[in-house]
Amino acid sequence: METHEQSTSNGRGNESGKETEHGAGWVSDSAHKAWSRTQGAVSELKRAAAIEERVNRHPYGAVAAALGIGYALGGGIFTPLTSRIVALGLRIGIRLAILPILKDEISVLADALGGESESKGRRGGNRAAKPSGER
Amino acid sequence: MTEQIEATVREVGARVRPQIEEARRRLSSANSNVASYIKENPGRCLVGAVAIGFLIGKIARRA
Repeated sequence: METHEQSTSNGRGNESGKETEHGAGWVSDSAHKAWSRTQGAVSELKRAAAIEERVNRHPYGAVAAALGIGYALGGGIFTPLTSRIVALGLRIGIRLAILPILKDEISVLADALGGESESKGRRGGNRAAKPSGER
Repeated sequence: MTEQIEATVREVGARVRPQIEEARRRLSSANSNVASYIKENPGRCLVGAVAIGFLIGKIARRA
């Protein structure tokens, strides 16, 4: 009786051992598959994005883009620091973009005002000349 | 007086110019070194930059 129980228990042990081995093998297989898939996806991504080409063309730009991606992934987008950086960038950008336009506009306005004042001066001169002529 | 000031300015310029040139040369060589390192190791640099950005983002979120 005992021998039968022992044999059955041993059989169960062997079965469970086999199952464990089988499970470990399956896990390692799936890990290998996942690793190879990840490598394939990374190489595909590299090829699709032409990362090396981009890095060769603009090394600092690529690093800055990677920094930005990391910053966004770290959850730094909706923070006071981002708002400060954006405000500073906007201020500088607006100054750089608007100053030449303003300069042109002011020069056009000054030219127009100068022309008007000259014509007014001429008119005024004529008006002033008329009375003196009438006299 | 004016001549003296001009002479002083010239002297200072002559003294400072080589230092400025040296600093410019060093900066340009450092720039080329950094750019070539990034080109040689793009993966490492990009992953490092993403990690640094992630840390900065985390710190900014906490602050």
